[in-house]
Amino acid sequence: MIATLNVRESSFAPVAPDGEAPRKPIPVLTVAGRLDASTVNILERALMRALMQGTKAVIIDAGEITYISSSGLRVMLTARRQVRERGGDIILCALSPNVRDVMNMVGFTALFTVHESLDSARNAAARIK
Amino acid sequence: MSTIRQLVVPAKHDQLAQIASFVAHGAEEAGFEEGLVNRIELAVDEACSNIIDHAYEGTMGFIQLEVTVEVRGSLKIILIDQGHSFDPNEVPVYKPCQTLDNARIGGLGLHLMRQAMDDICFEFNVPGLGNRLTMVKYL
Repeated sequence: MIATLNVRESSFAPVAPDGEAPRKPIPVLTVAGRLDASTVNILERALMRALMQGTKAVIIDAGEITYISSSGLRVMLTARRQVRERGGDIILCALSPNVRDVMNMVGFTALFTVHESLDSARNAAARIK
Repeated sequence: MSTIRQLVVPAKHDQLAQIASFVAHGAEEAGFEEGLVNRIELAVDEACSNIIDHAYEGTMGFIQLEVTVEVRGSLKIILIDQGHSFDPNEVPVYKPCQTLDNARIGGLGLHLMRQAMDDICFEFNVPGLGNRLTMVKYL
Protein backbone atom coordinates (compact mmCIF):
# COMPACT_ATOMS: atom_id res chain seq x y z
CA MET A 1 0.00 0.00 0.00
CA ILE A 2 1.44 3.33 -1.09
CA ALA A 3 0.09 6.71 -0.07
CA THR A 4 -1.12 8.88 -2.91
CA LEU A 5 -1.38 12.63 -3.11
CA ASN A 6 -2.53 14.58 -6.12
CA VAL A 7 -2.00 18.31 -6.51
CA ARG A 8 -3.81 19.99 -9.39
CA GLU A 9 -2.30 23.36 -10.25
CA SER A 10 -4.57 26.01 -11.76
CA SER A 11 -5.02 29.74 -11.48
CA PHE A 12 -7.57 32.49 -11.97
CA ALA A 13 -7.17 36.10 -12.93
CA PRO A 14 -8.90 38.53 -10.60
CA VAL A 15 -10.69 41.37 -12.34
CA ALA A 16 -8.86 44.65 -11.77
CA PRO A 17 -11.00 47.68 -10.96
CA ASP A 18 -11.31 50.28 -13.74
CA GLY A 19 -8.14 52.29 -14.14
CA GLU A 20 -5.95 49.76 -12.33
CA ALA A 21 -3.28 47.58 -13.94
CA PRO A 22 -4.25 43.97 -14.74
CA ARG A 23 -3.68 41.66 -11.80
CA LYS A 24 -1.41 38.63 -11.84
CA PRO A 25 -3.16 35.25 -11.95
CA ILE A 26 -3.57 33.71 -8.51
CA PRO A 27 -2.42 30.09 -8.19
CA VAL A 28 -4.89 27.54 -6.84
CA LEU A 29 -3.58 24.19 -5.61
CA THR A 30 -6.29 21.56 -5.33
CA VAL A 31 -4.87 18.90 -3.06
CA ALA A 32 -6.34 15.41 -2.76
CA GLY A 33 -5.21 12.36 -0.83
CA ARG A 34 -2.90 11.56 2.01
CA LEU A 35 -0.45 14.29 3.03
CA ASP A 36 2.28 12.61 5.07
CA ALA A 37 6.09 12.42 5.07
CA SER A 38 6.06 10.18 2.00
CA THR A 39 3.98 12.54 -0.15
CA VAL A 40 4.73 16.01 1.22
CA ASN A 41 7.39 16.72 -1.40
CA ILE A 42 4.63 16.76 -4.06
CA LEU A 43 2.90 19.66 -2.31
CA GLU A 44 6.22 21.32 -1.50
CA ARG A 45 7.22 21.40 -5.18
CA ALA A 46 3.81 22.70 -6.24
CA LEU A 47 4.00 25.45 -3.62
CA MET A 48 7.49 26.42 -4.81
CA ARG A 49 6.23 26.71 -8.39
CA ALA A 50 3.28 28.81 -7.21
CA LEU A 51 5.50 31.11 -5.15
CA MET A 52 7.91 31.52 -8.07
CA GLN A 53 5.11 33.14 -10.03
CA GLY A 54 5.55 36.12 -7.75
CA THR A 55 1.92 36.51 -6.76
CA LYS A 56 0.99 37.64 -3.29
CA ALA A 57 -1.74 35.06 -2.81
CA VAL A 58 -1.83 31.29 -3.15
CA ILE A 59 -4.98 29.27 -2.48
CA ILE A 60 -4.82 25.72 -1.19
CA ASP A 61 -8.12 23.91 -1.71
CA ALA A 62 -7.84 21.25 1.00
CA GLY A 63 -11.29 19.75 0.62
CA GLU A 64 -10.02 16.40 -0.60
CA ILE A 65 -7.11 15.99 1.81
CA THR A 66 -8.03 12.84 3.71
CA TYR A 67 -5.15 12.97 6.18
CA ILE A 68 -2.44 15.41 7.24
CA SER A 69 0.57 14.93 9.51
CA SER A 70 3.12 17.40 10.88
CA SER A 71 5.06 17.07 7.61
CA GLY A 72 2.23 18.76 5.73
CA LEU A 73 1.80 21.40 8.42
CA ARG A 74 5.50 22.29 8.29
CA VAL A 75 5.49 22.78 4.53
CA MET A 76 2.42 25.00 4.66
CA LEU A 77 3.87 27.06 7.50
CA THR A 78 7.18 27.52 5.69
CA ALA A 79 5.39 28.59 2.50
CA ARG A 80 3.21 31.02 4.40
CA ARG A 81 6.27 32.62 5.96
CA GLN A 82 7.78 33.10 2.51
CA VAL A 83 4.67 34.65 1.02
CA ARG A 84 4.17 36.89 4.03
CA GLU A 85 7.62 38.38 3.42
CA ARG A 86 6.20 39.91 0.24
CA GLY A 87 3.05 41.04 2.00
CA GLY A 88 0.92 38.19 0.74
CA ASP A 89 -0.99 35.28 2.16
CA ILE A 90 -1.66 31.57 1.71
CA ILE A 91 -5.37 30.97 1.93
CA LEU A 92 -6.74 27.57 2.88
CA CYS A 93 -10.26 26.52 2.11
CA ALA A 94 -12.75 23.69 2.54
CA LEU A 95 -10.86 21.92 5.34
CA SER A 96 -12.14 18.41 6.06
CA PRO A 97 -12.99 17.66 9.71
CA ASN A 98 -9.80 15.59 10.12
CA VAL A 99 -7.54 18.31 8.74
CA ARG A 100 -9.25 20.99 10.78
CA ASP A 101 -8.88 18.84 13.92
CA VAL A 102 -5.12 18.41 13.40
CA MET A 103 -4.68 22.13 12.67
CA ASN A 104 -6.60 22.95 15.84
CA MET A 105 -4.37 20.60 17.86
CA VAL A 106 -1.34 22.76 17.03
CA GLY A 107 -3.06 26.14 16.91
CA PHE A 108 -2.57 26.54 13.15
CA THR A 109 -6.15 27.63 12.49
CA ALA A 110 -5.22 30.86 14.30
CA LEU A 111 -2.14 31.33 12.11
CA PHE A 112 -3.69 30.70 8.72
CA THR A 113 -6.45 32.41 6.79
CA VAL A 114 -9.12 29.73 6.43
CA HIS A 115 -12.27 29.97 4.32
CA GLU A 116 -15.19 27.59 4.17
CA SER A 117 -15.39 27.49 0.37
CA LEU A 118 -13.21 27.97 -2.68
CA ASP A 119 -15.43 30.86 -3.86
CA SER A 120 -14.90 32.66 -0.59
CA ALA A 121 -11.14 32.01 -0.75
CA ARG A 122 -10.98 33.37 -4.33
CA ASN A 123 -12.78 36.54 -3.27
CA ALA A 124 -10.38 37.02 -0.36
CA ALA A 125 -7.33 36.38 -2.54
CA ALA A 126 -8.56 38.85 -5.15
CA ARG A 127 -8.64 41.58 -2.51
CA ILE A 128 -4.92 41.17 -1.71
CA LYS A 129 -2.93 43.80 -3.61
CA MET B 1 -11.00 -10.29 25.75
CA SER B 2 -8.16 -8.76 23.81
CA THR B 3 -6.75 -9.29 20.35
CA ILE B 4 -3.08 -8.78 19.55
CA ARG B 5 -1.77 -8.17 16.04
CA GLN B 6 1.78 -7.61 14.88
CA LEU B 7 3.36 -6.02 11.83
CA VAL B 8 7.02 -5.59 10.91
CA VAL B 9 7.90 -3.10 8.18
CA PRO B 10 11.07 -1.52 6.83
CA ALA B 11 11.70 1.88 8.39
CA LYS B 12 10.84 3.85 5.27
CA HIS B 13 8.42 6.66 4.59
CA ASP B 14 6.68 4.67 1.89
CA GLN B 15 5.49 2.27 4.62
CA LEU B 16 3.54 4.95 6.52
CA ALA B 17 0.27 4.34 4.67
CA GLN B 18 0.42 0.62 5.41
CA ILE B 19 1.19 1.31 9.06
CA ALA B 20 -1.73 3.76 9.24
CA SER B 21 -4.10 1.22 7.71
CA PHE B 22 -2.94 -1.47 10.16
CA VAL B 23 -3.47 0.82 13.15
CA ALA B 24 -6.78 2.23 11.88
CA HIS B 25 -8.17 -1.28 11.53
CA GLY B 26 -7.39 -1.95 15.20
CA ALA B 27 -8.81 1.39 16.32
CA GLU B 28 -12.07 0.78 14.46
CA GLU B 29 -12.30 -2.71 15.93
CA ALA B 30 -11.84 -1.28 19.41
CA GLY B 31 -14.83 0.99 18.76
CA PHE B 32 -13.27 4.41 18.23
CA GLU B 33 -15.20 6.87 16.06
CA GLU B 34 -13.66 8.26 12.88
CA GLY B 35 -12.19 11.43 14.38
CA LEU B 36 -10.36 9.50 17.08
CA VAL B 37 -9.20 6.87 14.60
CA ASN B 38 -7.59 9.72 12.66
CA ARG B 39 -5.89 10.99 15.82
CA ILE B 40 -4.55 7.51 16.66
CA GLU B 41 -3.24 7.14 13.09
CA LEU B 42 -1.60 10.53 13.47
CA ALA B 43 0.18 9.59 16.71
CA VAL B 44 1.59 6.42 15.18
CA ASP B 45 2.53 8.20 11.95
CA GLU B 46 4.45 10.86 13.89
CA ALA B 47 6.18 8.25 16.03
CA CYS B 48 7.20 6.18 13.00
CA SER B 49 8.37 9.27 11.10
CA ASN B 50 10.58 10.14 14.07
CA ILE B 51 12.00 6.60 14.10
CA ILE B 52 12.73 6.74 10.37
CA ASP B 53 14.22 10.24 10.39
CA HIS B 54 15.95 10.37 13.77
CA ALA B 55 16.42 6.86 15.19
CA TYR B 56 17.59 5.25 11.94
CA GLU B 57 18.58 8.54 10.27
CA GLY B 58 17.67 7.13 6.87
CA THR B 59 19.71 3.94 7.27
CA MET B 60 18.23 0.46 6.87
CA GLY B 61 16.18 -0.78 9.80
CA PHE B 62 12.81 -2.13 10.82
CA ILE B 63 9.83 -1.03 12.88
CA GLN B 64 7.88 -3.65 14.77
CA LEU B 65 4.30 -2.77 15.66
CA GLU B 66 2.08 -4.56 18.12
CA VAL B 67 -1.55 -3.49 18.45
CA THR B 68 -3.66 -4.76 21.33
CA VAL B 69 -7.39 -4.25 20.94
CA GLU B 70 -9.70 -4.33 23.93
CA VAL B 71 -13.13 -4.06 22.31
CA ARG B 72 -15.07 -1.18 23.86
CA GLY B 73 -12.11 -0.61 26.14
CA SER B 74 -8.79 0.61 24.78
CA LEU B 75 -6.14 0.38 22.12
CA LYS B 76 -2.51 -0.20 23.04
CA ILE B 77 0.18 0.30 20.42
CA ILE B 78 3.79 -0.73 20.91
CA LEU B 79 6.51 0.38 18.49
CA ILE B 80 9.95 -1.23 18.65
CA ASP B 81 13.05 -0.14 16.77
CA GLN B 82 16.81 -0.69 16.99
CA GLY B 83 17.86 2.82 16.02
CA HIS B 84 19.48 5.58 18.04
CA SER B 85 17.82 6.52 21.30
CA PHE B 86 16.92 10.07 22.24
CA ASP B 87 15.86 12.02 25.29
CA PRO B 88 12.24 13.17 24.90
CA ASN B 89 12.90 15.80 27.55
CA GLU B 90 15.42 17.47 25.24
CA VAL B 91 12.88 17.86 22.43
CA PRO B 92 11.65 21.46 22.39
CA VAL B 93 8.17 21.71 23.87
CA TYR B 94 5.84 22.91 21.16
CA LYS B 95 3.66 25.80 22.21
CA PRO B 96 0.81 26.85 19.93
CA CYS B 97 1.39 30.48 18.91
CA GLN B 98 -0.93 33.25 17.89
CA THR B 99 1.42 34.85 15.40
CA LEU B 100 3.35 33.52 12.47
CA ASP B 101 6.53 35.27 13.54
CA ASN B 102 6.98 33.28 16.71
CA ALA B 103 5.48 29.98 15.55
CA ARG B 104 8.02 27.21 16.17
CA ILE B 105 8.04 24.03 14.21
CA GLY B 106 10.26 21.95 16.52
CA GLY B 107 8.51 19.41 18.69
CA LEU B 108 5.38 19.40 16.54
CA GLY B 109 5.31 15.62 16.10
CA LEU B 110 5.77 14.84 19.79
CA HIS B 111 3.13 17.43 20.66
CA LEU B 112 0.64 15.76 18.32
CA MET B 113 1.41 12.33 19.79
CA ARG B 114 0.77 13.60 23.31
CA GLN B 115 -2.40 15.38 22.26
CA ALA B 116 -3.75 12.35 20.43
CA MET B 117 -3.03 9.60 22.98
CA ASP B 118 -3.87 9.17 26.67
CA ASP B 119 -0.63 7.47 27.77
CA ILE B 120 2.82 7.57 26.19
CA CYS B 121 5.87 5.77 27.55
CA PHE B 122 9.34 5.81 25.99
CA GLU B 123 11.89 3.14 26.92
CA PHE B 124 15.33 3.11 25.34
CA ASN B 125 17.98 0.43 24.90
CA VAL B 126 15.81 -2.31 26.41
CA PRO B 127 18.08 -5.41 26.53
CA GLY B 128 17.39 -7.77 23.64
CA LEU B 129 14.78 -5.45 22.20
CA GLY B 130 15.94 -1.92 21.42
CA ASN B 131 13.75 1.13 21.84
CA ARG B 132 10.13 0.65 22.84
CA LEU B 133 7.35 3.20 22.67
CA THR B 134 4.02 2.29 24.25
CA MET B 135 0.96 4.41 23.51
CA VAL B 136 -2.54 3.83 24.85
CA LYS B 137 -5.88 5.36 23.97
CA TYR B 138 -8.92 4.65 26.12
CA LEU B 139 -12.45 4.64 24.75
